[in-house]
Amino acid sequence: MSKSPHPDQRYLIALVNNDAGVINEIYKKCAGKVKSFILFNNGSADDAEDIFQESLVDVYNQAKYKKLELTCPFEPFLLLVCKRKWLNEIKKRSILPVTKSDDSLLHVGEDTFEQAELLEKQQEQTETFLKAFEKLGDRCKEIITWSMKGEAQEKVAETLGVTYGYLRKKKSECMASLIKMVQNKL
Amino acid sequence: MTDDKILLTARYVEGDMDAIERAGYETQMENDADLQQHLIDYNYIHESLKMKLAPDDADLLFRDTLSKFNSEYFHPQQVAKTISLKPYVKWLSGIAAVLFLGLLIWAPWRMSLYESFAGNNQMTVAERGAEKETNLDKAAAFYNVKDYKSAKILLEKEHVAQPENAMVNYYYGKTLLETQQIGEGRVMLNGVYNGQSVFKYDAAYAVAMSYLKADNKDACRIWLQKIPAGTAHFEQAKALLEKL
Repeated sequence: MSKSPHPDQRYLIALVNNDAGVINEIYKKCAGKVKSFILFNNGSADDAEDIFQESLVDVYNQAKYKKLELTCPFEPFLLLVCKRKWLNEIKKRSILPVTKSDDSLLHVGEDTFEQAELLEKQQEQTETFLKAFEKLGDRCKEIITWSMKGEAQEKVAETLGVTYGYLRKKKSECMASLIKMVQNKL
Repeated sequence: MTDDKILLTARYVEGDMDAIERAGYETQMENDADLQQHLIDYNYIHESLKMKLAPDDADLLFRDTLSKFNSEYFHPQQVAKTISLKPYVKWLSGIAAVLFLGLLIWAPWRMSLYESFAGNNQMTVAERGAEKETNLDKAAAFYNVKDYKSAKILLEKEHVAQPENAMVNYYYGKTLLETQQIGEGRVMLNGVYNGQSVFKYDAAYAVAMSYLKADNKDACRIWLQKIPAGTAHFEQAKALLEKL
């Protein structure tokens, strides 16, 4: 049985609606904690800013494009997302190990942990899709990017100097190639 | 077989099927779990790519909001607060703080790219010849000496009188940007971009420049990519994209 959304779903709705009042509330509650954690673990204020912004954008994207429903409180969820993102970044940069590798930033429930993992998994999938996209030819990349801009497809065809029929055919072929790459693990 | 189904699904979603093929696909899908899964996967991958490759205006405005709060919460202004300083040192620290603040606003290290690519910023009024100087002529005169505040007042009146005039809206949008009404300016220019006037891609370039000025390179890149080859700003947009 699927769980009903947590009352903190309101934060996701506010992010999608670009509600500056609630976004300010989120910054007030969480920005300082994330900054302290990152400074304490070999990062800078700029790193903290990037991690916090990227995390909020990830949550926003998932809420807007993937209908993410929150089943846990928002604050520990966002903090955990930021923390995991920073730990991954540290691994990538191969810098000093984290000062504290346990979950000392906050004590989180199972739901929060699962939700943060799901978000991270979806981000990884998106990275895979982007890698496949990068492997396509230039014409395919151009057609896919332009056709996703939300403009009328007839107009996109005109801009690209092709017929509407060709655009649909070519986009189908390009997307099918991309999906095959993803399914064959690139 | 799987490959065929993937292509078939892509063609179905992208509308590359005639009515008979379409109906056939839908009938087949009713009893074909693979095909149903392919359709779910297709839509999922498509949406995932869309959010990365082609964020819409609302996405850009959201990032704008975050940028504003980022400065406030991650880089609060470092104004020296020392209680036991002698008065003249207090004055010096006050002056230093003002200079520091001015430097932050001016931000020459971030403006260099902007200055290089902002280009010639002149307003030309095409319809001349009238005996009496029009509001547009006056606005252009103010605009061309960079008195954007005065130009904006006149252009606002013109915009109210002729809301569909793309030229008026374009320059009005630019004066809004120049007078720090960034959000309103972008909305105005976005309207011009969504139209079909000769100012369409000038508007896209102006919006891109506004993001460059705000150091929002992602959004700047997105707007530059909207400018197609053969239009006035294409070469500049291409060069700037390479630098970003």
